[in-house]
Amino acid sequence: MTIDTFVQVCIGGLLIGGLYALVAFGLSLIYGVVRVLNFAHGTLLAVSGTAASIMFAAWQLHPALIAVVLVPVVFAFGYGFYSILLQPLARRSPFEATVGTVLVTVGALLILSDLTAKFAGATQRNIPLRFHTIEVGNIVFSTTQLYILLGIAALSIAMHLMLKRTWFGRAIRAVTQDSIGAQLCGVRSERLKAMTFAFGSSAAAVAGVLYVMSFPVDPYMGFGLTVKAFTIIVVGGIGNLPGALIAGTLLGVAEGLTGLFWKPEWASAISVILLLLILVAFPAGFAKRRR
Amino acid sequence: MAAAVAMLAGAPWFGNAYLVSFVFTILVAYILAQSWDWVAGEMGYINLGHYCFYGIGAYAFAIALVAYHSPILAFAVTMLASIAAAVVLGFPLFRLRGDYFAFATLALLPLAEVLAFNLTPITNGADGIVLPVHDVATTSYLIALAVCVVSFAITVCISRIRFGYALRSIRNDEEVAEVTGLRTQPVKLAALALSAMFAGIAGGIQAWQLSYIDPSSVFGLHVALVPIAMALLGGSGLRFGPLVGVVLLALVQQWLLVSITMLQATIYGLIILLIGRFMPGGILRSTWLARRRGPASPGSGTRAQQPFSGSTSAHGPQLPLPVRSVARGKPLLECRDVRMEFGGNVAIGGVSLRVSEGEIVGLIGPNGSGKTTLFNCISKVYEPSAGTMYLLGRDLRALRRDEVARLGVGRTYQNPRPLGDLTVRENIAVPLLFNDASLSPRDALSQAQAFLEYSELADRGGARADSLSLQEKKALEFARALACKPRLLLVDEVASGLTPAEVARFVEHIRHIRDRYGITVIWVEHIFSALAQVVDRVLVLEQGMLIADGSLADVVKDERVLRTYLGTAAAGAINA
Repeated sequence: MTIDTFVQVCIGGLLIGGLYALVAFGLSLIYGVVRVLNFAHGTLLAVSGTAASIMFAAWQLHPALIAVVLVPVVFAFGYGFYSILLQPLARRSPFEATVGTVLVTVGALLILSDLTAKFAGATQRNIPLRFHTIEVGNIVFSTTQLYILLGIAALSIAMHLMLKRTWFGRAIRAVTQDSIGAQLCGVRSERLKAMTFAFGSSAAAVAGVLYVMSFPVDPYMGFGLTVKAFTIIVVGGIGNLPGALIAGTLLGVAEGLTGLFWKPEWASAISVILLLLILVAFPAGFAKRRR
Repeated sequence: MAAAVAMLAGAPWFGNAYLVSFVFTILVAYILAQSWDWVAGEMGYINLGHYCFYGIGAYAFAIALVAYHSPILAFAVTMLASIAAAVVLGFPLFRLRGDYFAFATLALLPLAEVLAFNLTPITNGADGIVLPVHDVATTSYLIALAVCVVSFAITVCISRIRFGYALRSIRNDEEVAEVTGLRTQPVKLAALALSAMFAGIAGGIQAWQLSYIDPSSVFGLHVALVPIAMALLGGSGLRFGPLVGVVLLALVQQWLLVSITMLQATIYGLIILLIGRFMPGGILRSTWLARRRGPASPGSGTRAQQPFSGSTSAHGPQLPLPVRSVARGKPLLECRDVRMEFGGNVAIGGVSLRVSEGEIVGLIGPNGSGKTTLFNCISKVYEPSAGTMYLLGRDLRALRRDEVARLGVGRTYQNPRPLGDLTVRENIAVPLLFNDASLSPRDALSQAQAFLEYSELADRGGARADSLSLQEKKALEFARALACKPRLLLVDEVASGLTPAEVARFVEHIRHIRDRYGITVIWVEHIFSALAQVVDRVLVLEQGMLIADGSLADVVKDERVLRTYLGTAAAGAINA
């Protein structure tokens, strides 16, 4: 093995990790504002990725255009899903609200995967779009990867600016920290919750389009992604974009390196092992300290 | 019930094979759902990775059976393996609480699947393990039925024994459970181990019956959440909740399998979704609540008296507390240079104080001066950043919260923290149990009566603690702290909000517990007239520093106290 392989694996890890981070960040925004454990979140990526691949196969649309088409659809889906199915649960007792949201999102997870498998087939899909490659020394990477990386960076920066500079973002941060306090200050929390749910869902949709450009998707992969996203949230903190990016990238690179130094089969276990090790090493938990 | 069990036990001989195999899946699912609910419904920890213990059990059984050909030995190995896994995993996982615990346990499932796929020398990888072929359909069915009965029996018993009270205290408020004397870590590990053991047995039985296992059948993400959905569907935390949920959902699943040819998972998911949307507490929850709400607790409006307002003498009811004669002047609590910092914020900046046995000490100071923080340091809710604290000669630094509590520190919370879904009587019985290992729950509940009468909550004993008014909750806080049988009682603004007559009675209480039971008291309060009647001296905190220590009469004349706490206008009032 050479240093070039190492760098190449790291770049791959960076890519997948960045995508994990986007998924995780959407999920953690939703969790922070709505306090819902959305088990169907990763499945949205799988569905969007599958839809993107079908659209590409049918009309040869440019991935960026596909994202432009998908985002409003998923946004509307998220808004409706929250308003119709989750919001009424908020009026119940905390215990019933938690249980209800778990059942609703698990049900949605099963429905989404099954419907996708039914209509698109349960096979793996991707976008067979290959841009030319770039060689730097002995390291080869494709412009696809470059585009994905740019996409992740652009989306991260956009989300960061949105959170820090817009009133929507300030309201999200306020509700995350103290929901009642924010309501007393005039934040219309119900509408904000629906917007956040929709926003987080569309982040997963964009991540789905980027994902399918370089990795295969299938209808049942979503839950595994959700699990990884939860891991990233525990490590990186709720509603914390830099935390999610760092934790996600670490996870992606760790997975890549596990494949390189050990066996690729073990890559998907590394996130959980890392999580357990971190919990042993930092008893108070990363996330708790940041809250 | 017994008839139903007997009928089920006869099924292998009278029913057809199809029925038996269907009931078998229900039995296994019930073991899983019920054992999950011991941790979730009773202890309040949502373990989404429960299914992984089922898989561990299945593998342990299969491997042991292949190696030793003895089912009994294999079941023993199964139990040991799942308990060991629970203890090893519980250690890091229980550092998380609430939703974070749920996230992290969920992550165990893919880990277990990857391990099963790739630890090829042990698990045979994707090929799975073929068990020695015997006809065990009937045997495994009967074992599953027996384990179900045991699971149900445990569910019934757990609500009555000490362990069950510990679980429910943890579910309500883990910190309160600790400061009233419960060591929570072993309880949590034991609950997880028990739950894991039953899940493991379920896995073992299933493996035996199928005589073949592979990673995706025992760890698959799509089946993993089903037992949990079943328990939630019926009603988590209810005696019959998991049972009802399992039977209903299994029937639905079977119906789908038979009559629907496409989109089974979609319909199944839709049913789960609709139940979550319209019956989030579980099917049994609504009727159950209505029954419990009925005659049990009259509304607080019907109460004849408020706490601390009664006409009976405070010396009336005898409390089951040890009567100690105090050695006046002997130091009880000694703090030296105690500091508490939160990041850069210094809440207590080096406080040294000494409290002698049998003293009643007032602790006063402006809001934010560190009074409650000091209480939190003494009861080890916070770990002080620096300094030493000794109680009865024991170094508090080396002790956990529950050890401090059992050593003799009782405390109240300024914002009352009752164990909400327990009754008022149980709230008092819990610290009695935790502080006396030989006490039975029945005795603790009857002993609690004296505390109820003492704090004039007797007619609310059966009410849920979260249904009390604020003043009643404060009275309950005080009674619960006394039930810890303390040597040192930390009272945090219990009297604020009381009427003058009620304050006067509360002062009597404080004096009484000191005079009769020798309990030393540190009392945080802003009501000077109340403090003046009973305290031996006062300590004044200001911005985390002790600025005065002496009799109340002297302290109120102190220049710094006047400037920072009472205000200079008070000087004139006191002199006049």
